[in-house]
Amino acid sequence: MIDFSSPRHRHKLGYLLVAPALILMALIIVYPIVMSVDISFQDVKIARIGVDRKPWTFENYEWLFTSAKFYQSLWVTIKLLLVVGGAALAIGFATALLVNQKFKGRALARLLVALPWAVPEVVAVVIWAWMLDSSFGVLNWVLLSSGIVSKPIAFASDPVAAFASICFVMIWKGYPFICIMLLAGLQSIPEEQYQAASVDGANVFQRFLHVTIPNMLPVLGVAFIMTALWVFRDFAIIFVLTEGGPIGSTTSLAIMTFEESFKFFRMGQGSAVGVITLIICALLSRALVSRFAKSVN
Amino acid sequence: MFNLKKTAISSLVALSTVLGGVASAETLSFVTWQRDDGAYGQWWAEAKAKFEEMHPGVTIDMSQLGRKEYADTMFTMFAGGTPPDIVHLAAFEYQPFADQGWLEPLGPWIEKDGIDLTGWAGQSTCEWKGETYCLMLLYAGFVLAYNEEMIKNAGFDGPPTTYDEYVEIARALTGDSDGDGIVDKYGIGLSTMEPATVMHQMQGFALDSGGNWTRDSKPIFDDPATIDGIRKWKSLMQEGLSPSQARSNDLRQLLIEGHVGMWIDGPWVASILDRASEEMRPKLKLAHSPLSPPLGGTSNILGMSSEISDERKALVWDFIKIVHSEEFQNKFSDYSGSPAPRPGMDYEDNIAANENFALFVEASQRAADAGVDRLPKGLELHNSELSKVVFEEAQRMLANDLDPAEVGATLQKRVEAFE
Repeated sequence: MIDFSSPRHRHKLGYLLVAPALILMALIIVYPIVMSVDISFQDVKIARIGVDRKPWTFENYEWLFTSAKFYQSLWVTIKLLLVVGGAALAIGFATALLVNQKFKGRALARLLVALPWAVPEVVAVVIWAWMLDSSFGVLNWVLLSSGIVSKPIAFASDPVAAFASICFVMIWKGYPFICIMLLAGLQSIPEEQYQAASVDGANVFQRFLHVTIPNMLPVLGVAFIMTALWVFRDFAIIFVLTEGGPIGSTTSLAIMTFEESFKFFRMGQGSAVGVITLIICALLSRALVSRFAKSVN
Repeated sequence: MFNLKKTAISSLVALSTVLGGVASAETLSFVTWQRDDGAYGQWWAEAKAKFEEMHPGVTIDMSQLGRKEYADTMFTMFAGGTPPDIVHLAAFEYQPFADQGWLEPLGPWIEKDGIDLTGWAGQSTCEWKGETYCLMLLYAGFVLAYNEEMIKNAGFDGPPTTYDEYVEIARALTGDSDGDGIVDKYGIGLSTMEPATVMHQMQGFALDSGGNWTRDSKPIFDDPATIDGIRKWKSLMQEGLSPSQARSNDLRQLLIEGHVGMWIDGPWVASILDRASEEMRPKLKLAHSPLSPPLGGTSNILGMSSEISDERKALVWDFIKIVHSEEFQNKFSDYSGSPAPRPGMDYEDNIAANENFALFVEASQRAADAGVDRLPKGLELHNSELSKVVFEEAQRMLANDLDPAEVGATLQKRVEAFE
């Protein structure tokens, strides 16, 4: 019988307690990743567990790196990352600064800011799909009635409008999370720093630049990384609104992975797209984490 | 202590009894998109009840799945090694499942019971690489659902009978009815959001022009007649005669609400018209499709998983036989209001009871006589990718105002590049 209270064995209890969580994570996260990597190296249309596996080959990656569709999807994802990530961060930060101020109705304002995040994604996107409908949608009705546009905007069939509508809905859905994270960061900045800056004669912009921003950099970094990863993996918004169309203008890497694997039954190629997406996300996270860690130091 | 021991023994006995009961009972899994679909749902429910009555202790667990995510979910179930016992699929999507060896060849079962499927409508589509993998559940010709009041108010005597009349009436029906400067009535409905529906609707116009997607199992997207069909679809969309961003179900809803004047669909559209309000229902009628030959073809199939035990296969086969029986083919016609695939059926009562039944029989015959099938022969394994390619090129044509001949050539090139 091991005495876990003894100094010699105390650390073993820690490992024992953590073990179930680690095993669970290995099963639901690591195992599928290993499976995907394995499938991506097989020339297989439909991969099945426990069935004779095919020999490893680079065919799927050869196809991927010569596929115009892959580069288009990568470009769409980068554009989404820049537009959605940038705008959501800016709006999230602005609203966080706003609801961090003391004013009447602040609790209600905080609730309203968080609302889009609380609505289930698919439900919200279906409502947006109806609002953005080119023939009967309320948005086109408002734009036409007010004379802003002379003919309805084809939000689902015009490539530019479709991309814009995807960005808009993603920003709407994503900024509250950033706002909540940044609000927590803002509340942790010691009030004394602002008071000291005021005593030194710093105006509101200087206080923002020299007190708020440096204190918020780690949180901003984490928020941006999480938004970037969300943009990379988000599927529901694009799938419900445009299914990746028109003409591939909203086909992100996540949509391409799904299409190759589950629409065209080419799981080897789909897994290759997934693996490359994973590598891009890992590199991006690593680079951003290092950068923000350095800035904090 | 004695009580504890007694309780433990009693619990074990009770548990073993319960588990024994569970082990002796059998449940067949059956996934469908039609369980909650009015008439079809009732028909399936009756077939299930009949099976359970004939097989005491065996039940069918019928689950509902949305049509949109149906094929993907079934694919995942099969790939994950947990397929349903009774396999219900669309006629245009079962081929990859059969090709993977996931479906049981039904030939030996048919032979064993001496079932004759000669003349069974659309059954040839169930043949894949020389084997029979399914029972065809419906072969249908498409018809025109229209708003009679809208057409009469526009100054026309009746529904269109040719493509030219169809366009003329569509133009007359499209407009702003409430004077706010925004178009709120559309002559026709054409889906622009679903790849498969876009492909099928475009195919309807290609057929009307004498073309098709394939001929003798070879793609003919660059055939002049097919290009003419693409041109027709493009002009209807460019003229704004249909809502520009809608799915089939949206368009059906707009039809029964009086915002769309004409909609070409399968016989199942009758049950959708029945959902219209009391005020709208008398205005909604059915007629032959103005496109000739009408679009039509095989709809959905029933088969069995090859990865279940022989005992379960025998049970599934019994269920398929119930569906195939004259009794249930009659019930199918009664419930669905459209002809069943079984040959030699007497529809006299159906025709007397349902004003549209004769229309469905005739539409189905017209499509069958012309050898029409929505499923492009020779491209069955690529159907999903094909519909995506057609959808993309249709969108590109509208967005960039491309010449249909150029679109036809691009489609031909892309389809020929399929593996």
